[in-house]
Amino acid sequence: MSAMNPMNHFPRLDRWRALTRMAAFSVGLLATLAASAAGAAGDAAALLQEKCGACHLEEKGWQRITNIRKTPEGWDMTLVRMGIWHKVELSRAERKTLVKYLADHQGLAPEESQPHRALIERQPNSVDVSPSEELTQMCGRCHSVGRVALQRRDADEWRKLIHTHVGQFPSIEYSSLGRDRNWFELAQGDLSRRLGELYPLRADAWRKWQAARHAAPTGTWRVAGHRPGWGRYAGYMEVAALGGDRYDVRYELNFDAGNTLTGRGESVVYAGYEWRGAAQLGNLDTLSVFAMSPDGKRMAGRWFLRKADEIGARFEAIRVEAAPAGTILSLSPSLLKAGETTEIRVAGVRLGDRFDFGPGIEVDKMTRISEHEVRLVVSVAGDASVGWRTLGKPDVAARVAVYRQIDRVRVEPEFGYARLGGGTVAPVTAQFEAIAWLDGPDGKPDTDDDVRLGPMDAQWSVDNHDERARADEDARFAGVMEPHGQFIPAPAGPNPARNDLSNTGDLSVVAKVVDGARTVTGTGRLVVAAQRWNTPPLR
Amino acid sequence: MKRLLPLNEKARSLAAPAASQPSGEAALMSNVVGCTTTFDPGWELDAFGGMANLCQPIEADLYGCTDTCWWPAQLADLVNTSPEWSDGKNSAIRDWRELQILFPED
Ligand code: HEC
Ligand code: HEC
Repeated sequence: MSAMNPMNHFPRLDRWRALTRMAAFSVGLLATLAASAAGAAGDAAALLQEKCGACHLEEKGWQRITNIRKTPEGWDMTLVRMGIWHKVELSRAERKTLVKYLADHQGLAPEESQPHRALIERQPNSVDVSPSEELTQMCGRCHSVGRVALQRRDADEWRKLIHTHVGQFPSIEYSSLGRDRNWFELAQGDLSRRLGELYPLRADAWRKWQAARHAAPTGTWRVAGHRPGWGRYAGYMEVAALGGDRYDVRYELNFDAGNTLTGRGESVVYAGYEWRGAAQLGNLDTLSVFAMSPDGKRMAGRWFLRKADEIGARFEAIRVEAAPAGTILSLSPSLLKAGETTEIRVAGVRLGDRFDFGPGIEVDKMTRISEHEVRLVVSVAGDASVGWRTLGKPDVAARVAVYRQIDRVRVEPEFGYARLGGGTVAPVTAQFEAIAWLDGPDGKPDTDDDVRLGPMDAQWSVDNHDERARADEDARFAGVMEPHGQFIPAPAGPNPARNDLSNTGDLSVVAKVVDGARTVTGTGRLVVAAQRWNTPPLR
Repeated sequence: MKRLLPLNEKARSLAAPAASQPSGEAALMSNVVGCTTTFDPGWELDAFGGMANLCQPIEADLYGCTDTCWWPAQLADLVNTSPEWSDGKNSAIRDWRELQILFPED
């Protein structure tokens, strides 16, 4: 048994695992949404009648409600809006029941939400994805186009939403990009039609997804990820069913830096794949937004702090039971300098004893930590060829890059925002990373063959971005850059020490990376902006 | 409208023709999710991708923005959505700390 037990090196979870194994395995790998959510569906139907029926007429479902599909966040935002605009009172539990029911029955298929995962994951400083300049100008100037593209409705329903916008937000017609055109006529005419074609209510993708059997996430997952500024981690996630698509979750995340985060939480799966969890990880109060792959074998997304969603980590997981022996999930560090010896942590599933990195890389020593983890000491020859080396199964991204000398450092994000906080508004910090690049075979920067090696340690600082910033001493007032590349903004409000200006600022972010005898510098830009009072999940 | 609009950048640009389109780096920067491209004058950035044309300090002009529903996705919209947001907090520059965030926690 001990050789078979994937958790045998994972003592903290053993007792709990014994308790939950029966429940988890008797539910089985496959459970249909409809069966497990039957009780909640009854509650939801009653709630729709009782809480919504007063205004929304029943007519092949409910008018304005039944003919729209949205993400869980999209539904939640609408329910909150019903509360603020139309004084609909819902308890926290009722709100959750309705979101669950609506996102399951009127949700998005995995491929429909795919282009906008970064928005759903609340990835800070992500760039909005828009199918056209027209949509960017018409619909992406107050909120992201992603907020639009994560809904499905026919032209007529898009038109109704546009009427709602004009009625509710009169500035839409006379603020910039509104007053230079006949905004309303364009929006409720051509644009509504186009939206109905781009993001239609009825789609094969959703029909097929609804008809498919969805895998339950129960079982043991091998996980790995990267927390910007903190580095990589690998670990385990153990999931047991609680019924109604709710799951009890245990985490153990071991960071390369040496610290371990363990924790427990609860998650809900919406529409058969949209995982939303809350977990206490060490002393961090976190939320998780993951998507399960349609075959139920993988999960990917981001976890972040409940009260500061810009602070978080990438997360990737493979199901231990379903992964072929020898699957590698993570190699860390993944940058190998030619002529040097490095210890690599290999995290995967049922790892073998042989690791072949190709010519020029010798494995000097292997230490087995567990069935699923080994450490390798590798020596890279001084003349080893540079570029990527892939290990294991090609569909799992496990690779290392060999470099002799880095050519460039780029700061990511290239444009970052932090926001002042104060009063009821939490500050928004900004985390930067110094990414090393190679120019590639052509030896020229900014061409297609460039190689993005990955994050490296850097020495961080900020400076005034331009003359104006220099005159106002932005770098002095706007906040502090921490050693690990995280910028902490100064407090909001007029600052008497600054002639009552607020502490906003326009800064350059400078990363200095030491590579052998050289120091390579990368520069980014950081705008320390005013606070936002409205922070819904889809911005 | 409950208060007189202060004479400021926005009031001026309202009267001006709509020339506030970003270009180059400004356009790239404003594509970051969460930032508005209503650039007259702009909330995070101005139309030139800088901060020189923003209201300063923003608290001094906050009700000038919310009274007119200027950035309804970022701030309160006192016209229709949250007309009571600033009740009892007559001076934003004095009372801004008490203004409540708009989206409730789950
Ligand atoms: C007091 C009346 C009232 C109640 C009760 C009410 N709504 Fe609404 N709802 C409206 C009005 C008016 C609109 C159209 C304007 C708008 O979109 O806000 C609307 C629009 C909607 C829309 C379309 C929004 C869109 O995306 O375009 C949805 C969905 C919706 N309501 C859901 C609900 C749900 C679910 C409930 C019950 C929890 C509910 N409403 C309860 C008045 C109400
Ligand atoms: C003047 C700024 C502005 C513009 C321009 C704008 N929106 Fe919005 N939109 C908002 C605000 C503010 C909300 C949030 C309403 C709320 O939840 O309080 C919103 C919400 C939404 C939602 C979510 C509503 C729901 O209940 O599901 C969708 C979808 C949407 N907008 C689509 C569009 C489309 C399509 C366009 C272009 C035709 C557009 N928006 C242009 C301000 C704008």
